[in-house]
Amino acid sequence: MPVFKTPFNGYSVKFSPFYENRIAVATAQNFGILGNGRLHVLELSANPTLPITEIAAYDTADGIYDVTWSESHDSVVVAAVADGSVKLYDLALPPTSNPIRSFHEHTREVHSADYNPVRRDSFLSASWDDTVKLWTVDRPTSVRTFKEHAYCVYSAVWNPRHADVFASASGDCTLRIWDVREPGSTMILPAHDHEILSCDWNKYDECIIATASVDKSIKVWDVRSFRVPIAVLNGHGYAVRKVKFSPHVRNLMVSCSYDMTVCAWDFMVEDALVSRYDQHTEFAVGVDMSVLVEGLIASTGWDELVYVWQHGTDPRAS
Amino acid sequence: MATQSPPPPPPADENQGAEIIQPTNVDQQNAGDESVKPSSTTSVFVNSEPPREDQVQNAVKFLSHPKVKGSPVMYRRSFLEKKGLTKEEIDEAFRRVPDSAPTVQTGGVNQDGQLKSSSNIQQQPQQQTLQPGLPASTGVNTAPGILSRSRFHWSHALILVGVLTASGAGTVIIIKNSLLPRLKSWIRKVVLDEDDEQLKKTINKPTLAEETAQAAKSAAAAAADVAKASQEMLASKGEERKYFVEVVSLLDKQIQEMKLMTSAIRRLEGQEDLRVSQTSSKRLVANGKADYDMRSVRSLSPPASVEPSGPPHPKSYMEPWEIGQVQNTSSQVFQPQVNGEESYVKVHDTTQSNGDDPLPWWQKKNVRIREIDEVEYNVAPNGAASTQQPLQRVWVPPQPPPIAMAGAAEAIRRPKQAVQKEQVSDNQSVAQSSDISNGAHEIPIPSESEGAVEGTNVSSSEIQVVQEHSETKSEEQ
Repeated sequence: MPVFKTPFNGYSVKFSPFYENRIAVATAQNFGILGNGRLHVLELSANPTLPITEIAAYDTADGIYDVTWSESHDSVVVAAVADGSVKLYDLALPPTSNPIRSFHEHTREVHSADYNPVRRDSFLSASWDDTVKLWTVDRPTSVRTFKEHAYCVYSAVWNPRHADVFASASGDCTLRIWDVREPGSTMILPAHDHEILSCDWNKYDECIIATASVDKSIKVWDVRSFRVPIAVLNGHGYAVRKVKFSPHVRNLMVSCSYDMTVCAWDFMVEDALVSRYDQHTEFAVGVDMSVLVEGLIASTGWDELVYVWQHGTDPRAS
Repeated sequence: MATQSPPPPPPADENQGAEIIQPTNVDQQNAGDESVKPSSTTSVFVNSEPPREDQVQNAVKFLSHPKVKGSPVMYRRSFLEKKGLTKEEIDEAFRRVPDSAPTVQTGGVNQDGQLKSSSNIQQQPQQQTLQPGLPASTGVNTAPGILSRSRFHWSHALILVGVLTASGAGTVIIIKNSLLPRLKSWIRKVVLDEDDEQLKKTINKPTLAEETAQAAKSAAAAAADVAKASQEMLASKGEERKYFVEVVSLLDKQIQEMKLMTSAIRRLEGQEDLRVSQTSSKRLVANGKADYDMRSVRSLSPPASVEPSGPPHPKSYMEPWEIGQVQNTSSQVFQPQVNGEESYVKVHDTTQSNGDDPLPWWQKKNVRIREIDEVEYNVAPNGAASTQQPLQRVWVPPQPPPIAMAGAAEAIRRPKQAVQKEQVSDNQSVAQSSDISNGAHEIPIPSESEGAVEGTNVSSSEIQVVQEHSETKSEEQ
């Protein structure tokens, strides 16, 4: 299984929706506290024994906390930069013309970026300035600003089935469900007693959403009956940094945590933990499951390594 | 894409109607869009349950609290949201509490909302007026709001620190000035009260007092007996002392008598010398007196020497037999003098000649010299020489005093034995310690061990240690 060593500490990894062997990795220098950032676009080789190659790399003045692929253009990536800007890069263009766009409206770090998979023309940026902003590529300014959270917004994720619905997870311990047609949030879920670091919608049931929190647990909610969670997944030793539902298996999700492990869960089963991968030697902060290849998982961490492996296999095996 | 949203959800009683309204609005808006969403899906992501009255009432109580009134509006909203209240419930609660800011849906505009709420304007037109300015104003208003909050925090923190230090200093001063003296006076009072209570206790409990009195009496009797015994002891000692004093007085009398006798003898001797040395009377007139004086000194010296040497030495512990000895010596002195001055002189001369070489040499010289001159130089040596011979002849070393108290003697002997035992034990211990030290330290330092040994002042052990040292050194080498 190939491993890629990035010069900076990894923050996020995303599979390209167009090319099954293409990965974008967001990295930041000095664990993202201070320094530059770099966006890597990596290419997996067909032969698993061959190493991962780098197609492109873009440097930024500040660390990059998240990256997302455009759903409309196969060569465009969106980077959430720690200086509060959202930058767009086009791989097809020469490096001199990159970034093609730079939106600077947030007053604090942009922690998350997500492209609308249904409408494919807009994307969200969630920032530590308590706001979520809605953008389109052609507009120079944000379309909407959603300000209701009382603390940093760590993640904003579009619903895979509904074009205008998205969820935001915040440090004020609430999960809010928004409709862009509504002026404010439509639902407020007091999901945890601690900060919620990540959320993700179930790809097969548009009403099921999972939240990952500092309290080391993952809670799965059904918005139709949001008072009580469907499942509470415990097993991580430290805060859960990211959670992602599998696009291929209805009940499967993967999560990465500060306990340096990547775990796979089946929340419909009593013993939810399916597998645990401990290949990282530092905080595991980014994880993604490929839409095009079933069972392919990618993860990155502060140990500057990017692992890509098949679910059920050993990520360090060569 | 997303245009301005339709009118906000109406108040609680019309919530059910909102569900119907929204889908129609959605249908109208999405007519030109790609995907036409069924009306039911939009309602999925909206709170379908009606606002709970109990929750609303709790929220009203919370908002009516004076402390809550002072907190920023955002905190109140986020608190209620964390408690699980839906938006409608929160809005209803805010509506019911008149002073709270009616910023329902934007949630960010504090100052404008408070001003408007104070004027008691209806909320629907407020929301409508706020809405158009929403995207433009939120970004602007939130920034100063956040900054003002942050500034307040800084100044609040500084004020807090200053207040805390001032309060701490003030409490210290207060304690020093007022509380400590009060504490001390209170403690004194308590102590005095305890003393009074003790006295009262002694008075109030006669039985105990009687018992204690009896015990005291018995103790006093015992003490009196002991005192009597000690007095008797002292009396006995006093009687012994009296005996000593009597003896001393007797000796003094004898001394006086002896003095008289010696003076008589001197006179007699002086007359004889005058007869012997009449030829040189003139010369010796001056010297004769001196000779006389010298002889008298010389002659006086033996008895005089005997006298001071005899009585002073045994004066402290003279006993009857010593007194007898002194008397014998004195009688011996007297007898030759009494019997024959000449023989005494001869004996004196013979004794002088029989003495040590230097002495007779001295005396011979002195005999010659004394005729010529230098009486002064010869007085001392003659006296010394003369004193020595009679001392040698007459002086008897005093006997050790008899044992007055047998118990004391044993006691004195025991510590000696103990001391001897200690010395023996010290020897053994030193030998052991030296062995241990040599065993423990494979590289013994001779200076230290010898110094330790010297401290105990046992030479035998030193020798042993030195031998052992030499042995160990030889072994090591």
